[in-house]
Amino acid sequence: MAPRRRYPKGTIVLTVGTKRGLFLLTSRDRQSWKTEGPYRGGHRVFHATLDLRDGPRLFAADNGDFFGSFLRYSDDFGRTWVEPRQGIAFAEGSGLSLKNIWVIEPGRASEPHTVYCGVDPAALFVSHDGGQTWEMNQGLQAHPTRTKWQPGAGGLCLNSIVMHPSNPRRMWIAISAVGVMRTDDGGQSWLFCNKGTRADFLPDKYPEFGQCVHRLLGHPTNPDMLYQQNHCSVYASENAGNTWTEIRANLPSDFGFPMAMDVHHPDTLYTIVEDPEGRANFGDQFTVYRTQNAGRRWEHLTKGLPKGQAVRLGVLRHGMCADSLDPCGVYVGTNTGQLFASRNRGDSWKMIADYLPSIYSVSAAVL
Amino acid sequence: MVHLPGPLRGRAGRRASVSAHGATVREVIDDLERQFPGMRFHLCEEAGVLRPFVNIFVGSDNVRDLQGLETPVPDGASVYVLHSVAGGSPGL
Repeated sequence: MAPRRRYPKGTIVLTVGTKRGLFLLTSRDRQSWKTEGPYRGGHRVFHATLDLRDGPRLFAADNGDFFGSFLRYSDDFGRTWVEPRQGIAFAEGSGLSLKNIWVIEPGRASEPHTVYCGVDPAALFVSHDGGQTWEMNQGLQAHPTRTKWQPGAGGLCLNSIVMHPSNPRRMWIAISAVGVMRTDDGGQSWLFCNKGTRADFLPDKYPEFGQCVHRLLGHPTNPDMLYQQNHCSVYASENAGNTWTEIRANLPSDFGFPMAMDVHHPDTLYTIVEDPEGRANFGDQFTVYRTQNAGRRWEHLTKGLPKGQAVRLGVLRHGMCADSLDPCGVYVGTNTGQLFASRNRGDSWKMIADYLPSIYSVSAAVL
Repeated sequence: MVHLPGPLRGRAGRRASVSAHGATVREVIDDLERQFPGMRFHLCEEAGVLRPFVNIFVGSDNVRDLQGLETPVPDGASVYVLHSVAGGSPGL
């Protein structure tokens, strides 16, 4: 039996989900990186996350091309994988069939064995035993508007899960193209939280639901504060999602997918906006945008990032993240297989991997 | 005998061919599921239909061109599980 893989304490682990497998990049200093993988080679890994709450457990959204989609987990950093005893699937007779698994989110620190998962068609699954068995949230499926929900281009995907840090009955989800929803009763019922966010692609530009939310983020210390990158701009809410304010400010486009936060300075956010037609960087300079005042003004971060007439890079909704160090590292994976990293909050960047398959997601953990 | 493609052999003890019984394709899949739990999910969606890129042949006939999962399986017939030639599909 192969020895259990270990890394020194303090190692930064990036889990990079791609169109053809999962890669791990590890570093002690965020300057030199070692690339390992692919794991689950050949499979579309939409998302992966390393859950450190009860020993490192690596979860992957393993979406096969032909033979089904599976959540799997590994306790040896990808060397071997376990399939849950009761995996993620809809009940036979429900009329629903799992298309893709989109996001895996470890639960609160106070519930170390709880893990959440969002899928297409829109559903929320939860495990209370570290991923061994999963059950579907019934309240969301029973929502009275459920039959009217329409998919975005990527599907009817539940792509973001945000937990209230201390109130176990409150959490938020984001579905494309339904919008943000919140439960205040532990998932028994869900209400829409879309006031003030646009749906330019619908006749009613401000509907109750139908918004295409690309990424939803919570705030580490103020649980009423939320941010979202939407199909139609960037927004902040100061009241738990009851209403939203546009924070596009000086961004050159209102269309983008990813969003990340410096958890030590939560007014500092990162996004990448794109040319909505080309689905790539706006102009010839690949740019990460940073605000240090919660969206009143955005800086253009370009040092070390490529520029040129032929530079056209896209970043998908889970393709950017920040680590938990201070100053934080920021990581951006492109849909053409480049992975860029900054170890100084985005001030400067370098490419730490190239020629990867199209990158779907990047997550960071510090051991 | 049921002949399995490479990606499904791990589920069946790394065997390329396994014995399974049933009067129809559906019953053969039921028997595969009994022997190798989880096999049905690879082949069929929860709604009960074959996955879009999974093809099952009885002899040389694709069951999609016959009666689907209700296609009869004669005694001694060879059943082949194959995936589609799906290269170029936007989702893949």
